[in-house]
Amino acid sequence: MAESILMRVTDLVKHYGDVHAVDGISFSVADAAVFTLLGPNGAGKTTALEILEGIRDPDSGEIEVFGERLRRVDRKTKERLGVLLQEGNFEPYLKAREVIALFASFFENSRSPAEMLERVSLTEKANTYVKNLSGGQKQRLAIAAALVNDPDLVFLDEPTTGLDPQARRNVWAVVSDLKRTGVAIILTTHYMEEAEALSDHVCIMDHGKLIAEGSPRELTARLGQETIIEFAIGDASDEDLHPLSDCCKAVRADGGLVSVETTDLVATMRSLLDWSKARDTSLDNMTVRQPNLEDVFLSLTGRRLRE
Amino acid sequence: MIDILHVAKNHLLIALRERVTLFWFLIFPVFLLVLLTLVFGQIGQEGAISFEISFVNLDREPSAWVSGMIESVFDELGTPDAEGKEPLFRIHKPEARQSDEAFLELETLALRRGRRAAVIVIPEGFTGEVQGRFVPIDESEGAPASDQTALLIYHSEGNAASGMAVEIIDQILAGIDREILVQGGQFDPAAAIPGVTTWIGSEEGGATYVDFLLPGIILMGLFTNGLFGVPGSILFSRDQRVLRRYWVTPLTVPRFLAGMAIGHVALSLLQFAILYVIGRFALGATVSFASLAAVLFLLLATATFMAFGFLIASVSKTANTGMAIANILNMPMMFLSGLFFPIAGLPAFIRAIVYVNPVSYLAAGLRAAVGIEASPFSLWLVVGIPLAWIALAAGVAARRLRWDVSR
Amino acid sequence: MKIYLALLRSETAIMIRDKLTIFFTFLFPIIFIFIFGFLMGDIDQPTARLGFVDETSASAPFPIDILEASGVAEVVDVADRQALETSVRDRNADFGLIWDGRALEFLYNPSAVQENYAYQQIAAGITDAFNLRAQNLKAILPIEKVHVGTEASTRWFNQMVPGIIAFSILSSGLFAVSGHLTAMKQRRTLDRLLVTPMPPVSLLAAVATVRLVIVYASTLITLLASIAIFDLAFSIDWFEYTILVVSSTLGMMGLGTIIALVVRRPSSAGNVANVLAMVMMFLSGIYFPIELMPRFLRDFSLVLPLRHLADGMRYVTGVSDMSPLHFWMIILVLLAAALVLFPVLARYVVRPERS
Repeated sequence: MAESILMRVTDLVKHYGDVHAVDGISFSVADAAVFTLLGPNGAGKTTALEILEGIRDPDSGEIEVFGERLRRVDRKTKERLGVLLQEGNFEPYLKAREVIALFASFFENSRSPAEMLERVSLTEKANTYVKNLSGGQKQRLAIAAALVNDPDLVFLDEPTTGLDPQARRNVWAVVSDLKRTGVAIILTTHYMEEAEALSDHVCIMDHGKLIAEGSPRELTARLGQETIIEFAIGDASDEDLHPLSDCCKAVRADGGLVSVETTDLVATMRSLLDWSKARDTSLDNMTVRQPNLEDVFLSLTGRRLRE
Repeated sequence: MIDILHVAKNHLLIALRERVTLFWFLIFPVFLLVLLTLVFGQIGQEGAISFEISFVNLDREPSAWVSGMIESVFDELGTPDAEGKEPLFRIHKPEARQSDEAFLELETLALRRGRRAAVIVIPEGFTGEVQGRFVPIDESEGAPASDQTALLIYHSEGNAASGMAVEIIDQILAGIDREILVQGGQFDPAAAIPGVTTWIGSEEGGATYVDFLLPGIILMGLFTNGLFGVPGSILFSRDQRVLRRYWVTPLTVPRFLAGMAIGHVALSLLQFAILYVIGRFALGATVSFASLAAVLFLLLATATFMAFGFLIASVSKTANTGMAIANILNMPMMFLSGLFFPIAGLPAFIRAIVYVNPVSYLAAGLRAAVGIEASPFSLWLVVGIPLAWIALAAGVAARRLRWDVSR
Repeated sequence: MKIYLALLRSETAIMIRDKLTIFFTFLFPIIFIFIFGFLMGDIDQPTARLGFVDETSASAPFPIDILEASGVAEVVDVADRQALETSVRDRNADFGLIWDGRALEFLYNPSAVQENYAYQQIAAGITDAFNLRAQNLKAILPIEKVHVGTEASTRWFNQMVPGIIAFSILSSGLFAVSGHLTAMKQRRTLDRLLVTPMPPVSLLAAVATVRLVIVYASTLITLLASIAIFDLAFSIDWFEYTILVVSSTLGMMGLGTIIALVVRRPSSAGNVANVLAMVMMFLSGIYFPIELMPRFLRDFSLVLPLRHLADGMRYVTGVSDMSPLHFWMIILVLLAAALVLFPVLARYVVRPERS
């Protein structure tokens, strides 16, 4: 299956004085794929996205959308884009279906409000004023507005931040459906589970730079055939933990939670048990798991995704 | 095109759904129209105002015919007429067992406290004094009445009702004065020179108060809509990041503006219609807006005030600032424009505000267009100054109006 | 006490930094005074300009002194009827008189709707006086007019200023609750205070104190401005003045409490307060004399707090009279309202917000 690249970004840069919000990033987005920018708050994800959405000007870099090189996203391009902004609102005194009808009128081709509301399960609220919708419902309405023109490329900036688990799952379902229909999606998030669940391709961003990219599996595979053991311990000083570093790849203590990376699970377990018996400490809440993107980020930067 | 129409339709819908907007732009002008007509429209009309006055006749001799005449005239004016309409005066006289002094004291106190418009006291010996004056005048005579025998009218100067009552009482007494002179054979009514009333321009008695007021209130409605509604809508939508969601779609700012303008005009049209209907059918206004000139002026006014609203939005960083500016400008612009108060006797530096104020010209132009009164300003000014403001606002807005919060 | 003082400090800081509120509280009444002072400051003086045309061939000169004594400010000689019509139409003369030897013809401009009534009164007076003079007579009834009341009450504008001050007190008190406190509630800044041991009453006391100081200062500045710019005369009883200002502010905070309770959403409370204040301003005899309103409106105004505030203000500034009993009743009602409603307000402040 030939993959077509819908968007290609080369060396995108945006500085604000001394702050390098976007510090030279490059990536490409293919159709029928979910491309995720993953990173902590302040990494530059939203800034990058806003440049690509056409509401911020880059300092330098090349943007190619739908085969055309652009300095700024123009009106013709916007016809084929769908954008969900990170921060935005609708007029409080419009009804849900009026909002969709309004946005539909901006495009040459669009779907009916009824159809869009159905797609995000808001049919019941069609005649409800925006001001009376819950946070999750407003977000779904925003997604409906973003998709009303059957876009080929969709930007979803932090689509599930602040939503309850049920609402989050709803959004994930919409994204999966979209992908199935061949749409290319650029997603930003600071939720690791979201990146893992939805993405085909992940770019990890930190301080304006791309520090890693690949599929979720590829990224976690960088950590080798590793297993992560985590347990809680009352008070562990660095000296206490020192013996453990002989038996495993990395040991980290983070406020009572110790995590240990190892490629040899059995040997490490044995050492741990010896160690705990020797110190007469118990290993509480122990979990043994495969590495995830959080661990990848941690190993790359020494910090957590969620500060 | 359909995007512009949708924006326009939504602008109108939102304005009607937000209760605050609904009140200030529709209900409040109607309220003012009705109230001002009720209050000022009845001045000078029969049966409209009734004054509370007190009356004491101390000149009670049977032969005191002058005082008796005066008293009976007032008594008659104090009687409700056949249709049960309120009489011109509600007359208070001393009660049966009340001494005159006590009564006077109470009544002057009531006058001071605003419960009476006037207190009339006919002193003892009044008739005698008057009779004594029935001699032909020569130049050196005409001694002023001494305190003791003049008819006293107590009034409260700053009180509007008192002032009006006294003027009416003056006229009544003048009429009685004449009557006495006629009866005494001194005044020849046949030789009296009549006073004739002529109205300049129109045939009959001229416009009524509500005819004068209605264009002014309509203009005020359009003015508040532009001054508050336009910046309010833009600034709040911008600050709340509602506009931002539009800019990521193919909708451009000029198209959005066009939609807003159409919506604004629709809202203004609604304002005009409601005020006109109430003015015409509930309050009896006869003034007609059916001329081309009137329509053009209404449109010019709508455009000028909308442009002004853009000007305010351009210089305001936040919505609150914008509303504050609108509030500050509201009163001076509305009152220093000749809309409600005549601007003739104002000191120079205040008049400068009047001359800069676009409302002054639009008010004059509209009133001229509906035939109420000729405009004190030339046509060039009346059209030119508002246009100049529109140009200024457009220029400033094009440069300075921010359509998104931060970039 | 310590808590109260700390809150006092913070509320003062907030107030000082809230330039908008400061601006409005102090500047608004002054703008009012300015505009209305110039528009209506000399409304009691004669201002009518009479254009006069004498069409007779000057055999019998017109007694001009009659015109001057009739309440006209200025008599302007005009050449002929044509010129007079133009003059009246262009409002260079307010009305006109043509004397052709047989009748006194008065010309009016139909569009001077508000003023023509007064001009017609003057015209009647002129006709009268003219006829008396023509027959060599003088008015036979000796009449004297006596002004009852203070010197301050003789100018309408003098009566308007206390009304404007009363209105600014009303707004400040109202918006302290349905504005400031409701905004705190809406923005959840109140919540942060309430999870501490701070008693809500302390907060209310602090807010009230700051408001009182600001309001008092503002009324003084407004009085000063009106005296300085327009040469108004007041005779102020400072004790009663202070009592009135204090109880009005507190009483109006009580009114603001009622609004905040009745209007469910805090964000709407401010709007409702605004509307109420505006409507009251027109119906309480501040903009135009209440004596001119139809009876039912005059009676209605008695239920409006602003009416009594304005009356009280005129009383304590020596502009008009009121029975002391009446005055103290007003004070009593205001203080009672404040007393009853402050605990209610305290409970409103801690009531959990249903978003």
